Amino acid sequence: MLFNSLTFIVFFVLVMGGFWTLKSWSARKNLLLVASYVFYGAWNPPFALLLFLSSYVDFLLGLQMAKSPVGAQGRRGWLLISLAVNLGLLGFFKYGTFLLQNLQWLLAQVGVVYQPPEMNIVLPVGISFYTFQSLTYTLDVYRGDLKPTRSLRDFAFFVAFFPQLVAGPIVRAADFLPQCDAPAPARPGRIAWGLFLMTLGLFQKVVLADTLLSSSAETVFGHPGPLVPLDAWAGVIAFSGQIFFDFSGYSTCAIGAALCLGFSLVDNFRFPYAAIGFSDFWRRWHISLSSLLRDYVYIPLGGNRKGVARASIHVLIVMFVGGLWHGAAWTFVAWGVLHGVYLVIERLLGGVFNAQRWSHSFLSKLVLVLLTYLAVCITWVFFRAADFPTAARLLAGMAGQIPVGDAVLTTRELLQVVVVTVGLLISHWMLRDTSLEVALKRWPVWLLTTVWTLMACALILNQGDGNAFIYFQF
Amino acid sequence: MALAATLLTLVATVAWEVACRRAGYEPTLNDTSDLWAQRRSAVRPDSTVIIGDSRALFDLDLDEMEKGLGARPVQLGLVGSCAYPVLDHLASDPAFRGTVVCSLVPAMFLVPAGPPLENSYRAIRRYENWTWAQRSGHHLGMFLEERVAFMKQDDLTLAALLKRLPIANRPGARVGPRLPPYFSTLDRERRTLMWDVAAAPGPLQDRVKFGWIPLFTPPPPPPYVPQEAFLNFIHTAIEKRFKDAVIAVEKIRSRGGKVVFVRLPVTGPLKELEDKATPRAGPWTRLLQETRAPGIYFEDYPELNAFTCPEWSHLSGPDSVEFTRRLIPHLKTALAQ
Repeated sequence: MLFNSLTFIVFFVLVMGGFWTLKSWSARKNLLLVASYVFYGAWNPPFALLLFLSSYVDFLLGLQMAKSPVGAQGRRGWLLISLAVNLGLLGFFKYGTFLLQNLQWLLAQVGVVYQPPEMNIVLPVGISFYTFQSLTYTLDVYRGDLKPTRSLRDFAFFVAFFPQLVAGPIVRAADFLPQCDAPAPARPGRIAWGLFLMTLGLFQKVVLADTLLSSSAETVFGHPGPLVPLDAWAGVIAFSGQIFFDFSGYSTCAIGAALCLGFSLVDNFRFPYAAIGFSDFWRRWHISLSSLLRDYVYIPLGGNRKGVARASIHVLIVMFVGGLWHGAAWTFVAWGVLHGVYLVIERLLGGVFNAQRWSHSFLSKLVLVLLTYLAVCITWVFFRAADFPTAARLLAGMAGQIPVGDAVLTTRELLQVVVVTVGLLISHWMLRDTSLEVALKRWPVWLLTTVWTLMACALILNQGDGNAFIYFQF
Repeated sequence: MALAATLLTLVATVAWEVACRRAGYEPTLNDTSDLWAQRRSAVRPDSTVIIGDSRALFDLDLDEMEKGLGARPVQLGLVGSCAYPVLDHLASDPAFRGTVVCSLVPAMFLVPAGPPLENSYRAIRRYENWTWAQRSGHHLGMFLEERVAFMKQDDLTLAALLKRLPIANRPGARVGPRLPPYFSTLDRERRTLMWDVAAAPGPLQDRVKFGWIPLFTPPPPPPYVPQEAFLNFIHTAIEKRFKDAVIAVEKIRSRGGKVVFVRLPVTGPLKELEDKATPRAGPWTRLLQETRAPGIYFEDYPELNAFTCPEWSHLSGPDSVEFTRRLIPHLKTALAQ
C-alpha cells in the first residue's frame, strides 16, 4: 500500500478513527498490529508470513539470550542464530541472484562454465528495513543494553508498525518498545502536526519528486547515447532532488502518520544538501541507517580507536556495507565506496582546513556546501545508473568529454530542475542549523495555513496513479 | 489551523471542479493500467478480445460486436501502443483459445523500441503483478472519476498543465513530440468515444490533428550511431517482430483460437504519411502471408472506406457504431476461414 494512494487514505482514516475510538491501550495496539499486517499483506500476502516468522524468531531468541549472562557463550550462540536467520533471509531474497551471477563470473575467470539456475526471486518489499530493525533488537539484547520484551504482540508490532515498515526510518527497539508500554501523554496539536507532516511528505513525493523532477532524471539516465553536458548535469541534479524528496517525503509522511497514532519516530533527514563535508552529510542523510551502521558496524570494528589507517579501512567497510544494503549491484557498492573515499579524504584534510580561520567564514561555508553537494551528485550517478557503462557515459557527458551528444530535455524540464533545485538548496541552507518544527513555529498562522492549503491543493491537482517510492526496492 | 486549511482546500477544489466543467470537461474514467488489468481479468478461454492501438479503442463498438458475433468482446486495445506484446501475452496464456481482433497500424506494430512497446508492457506487468492495494485503489479511483470532472489524468494534472506551457525547445533537441490533448470519454469496459468537441471542426480538433504528424514521423537516427549500424538494428528488430508474430499467431491457432488483423480507417495527411512510410504492399501484406491470418483492410470495401476521421486518426462516436455494424459481416467471413 502506497502512502500516495486512495487506498491508503481510506485505510489510514479507518485505522486512525478506530485507534482513537478504542479506550483500551491493549486493544489499540492489537488494532495497529492487525492494520500493519494488512498494510504489508496488501502487496503480497505470503510475505506477511515471512515478516511474522522473522519477528517470531527474534522474539524467541531475545528471550533465550536473556537466560545467559552478558558475554556468555550461549548468548553469543543465540545471537549468531539471529544473524544467520535475518541475514540469511536477506541474502536469499535480495542477494541470491547477485551472488550466483558473481560466482558464475568468478568461475568463468578460471575456465569453469557454470550456468546458475533461474531463481526468479521476488524481493519482499522493505525487507532490508525490517530485517535491520529486528536485528537491532537482538544485538541490543545481546549486549545487555536492552531487556527483552515478554510480549510477542509488542515485538511483532514494533517490527511491523506500518508507517515505517517498508521504507523507514529504521526504528530501534530501544526507542520504540518503551512507547508500547503506555500511551504517550496527550500533547495539544500533535495530530494536527502529524497531518501537516503527512501533507508535506506527500507534497515532496508527489509534486516535487514525481511531477517536477522524475521525468528529467528518467530521460537522462534512460538515454542510450551520449549527452551534452547541460543535459547530463541536469539529469543528475534532477535525480539528486528526486531521491531526496522521494525518500525524505516517505520519512516525513511516516513520522506524521506515527504522530497521528501517538508514536514518535526518529528524524531521518536534517537538510542534507546544506552539509559541509561528507561526515556532516551522513549526519543529515538517512540518519537512521547511518547511525545504525556507525553503532553496529563501525564502532564494533574498532571505529577510530586504532589509528588513522585502520579508521579509514573501517569507514570504507561501513560504506561498502551501506552501498550493498541499498541494492544487489556493484553500482551501489561503487556509490557507497565513493562516499567512503570522500570521508577518508575529508578526515585526512580536515585537520589542515579546520585550523584555518578563513574556513569558518560565511563565504567559505557556502562554497563548501556547494562543493559537497556537487560531489554528492557525482555519487548519485552510480546510485541511479543501471550499469557502469551508463555511469561512465554520464560522467563523460558531465565532464564535457563527449564530442557529439544529444540534448534530450525540454526547456520546461530544464526550468523545473533549476527552480526546484535552487529552492531546495536555499531552504536547506536556511534551515541547516535548526529543525522544521522550530522554524515553522516562527511563522504566523495565516502563512502556515496558506502553505498547507497550497500543498494540499497541489496534491489534489496531481491526482492519479501513484508511483512507488524509490526506497521500496531496498 | 488544520480546520482552516481543510476548508480552504475544499473551497479551492470545488472552484477547480467548476472551472473544469465550464471548460467542457465531464466526469469520465482514466484509461489506466489498472482498468486494462481489470478487463484482462475478464478474458475467458473462449473470449473475443480486441487488441491494438487507440483505433481499436475508438473505432470498434462493443454493443455492435456483441450483436453481430454473439459474444461481448473484451477491449484490450491501448492508446499509443504496439499490439505485439499483448498478442504474445495472450498467446503465452495456455488457457486462451478464443478470438483475437487485432487493429494493425504497421508502423506501431513493427516499432523496435520506445513508448509504444513500453505502454503495452506496462499494462501487462500491472495485470501480472496486480496487488490487492492497487485493486482497491483502482475501484476507489473509478468511484471518484465517474463523479469528478477534474480527475482527468491526461489533461488536468499539474504535470499535464505544465506541459501545455508554450516554452520553445532548444534547436536540435531530441525531445518527443507533444501528445494530442484529451478528446475522449471512457467507460468501465474501456469503450472509448470521441468527445463531440473534438469531432467538430475547431481549435481542439486542430490541436489533435496536428499532434499526429510529428508523433507518426520517425525520429532521425542518433548521431552517435553509424548509419549502417542503426539501419541494421532496425532491420533485425523488424525481422524478429515478423517471426515472433508468426509464432504468437500459431500458438493461439494451435489451441483452436483465431486471429484476425484489421486495418481501421485513417484520413487526410496522416493517411498519406502512413501509406508512404508503411505501404500496404509492405508490412500488411507480408504479415498476413507469413501468419496465414485473415485481414480486413478498410480500403478494400467501399462501405468501410466511406468514413472520414474528423481528426484524421479515429472515427467519431456515431461513426464508430456504424463502422462496426458494417465491419461485422467481414469479420464473420474472416473468422470462418
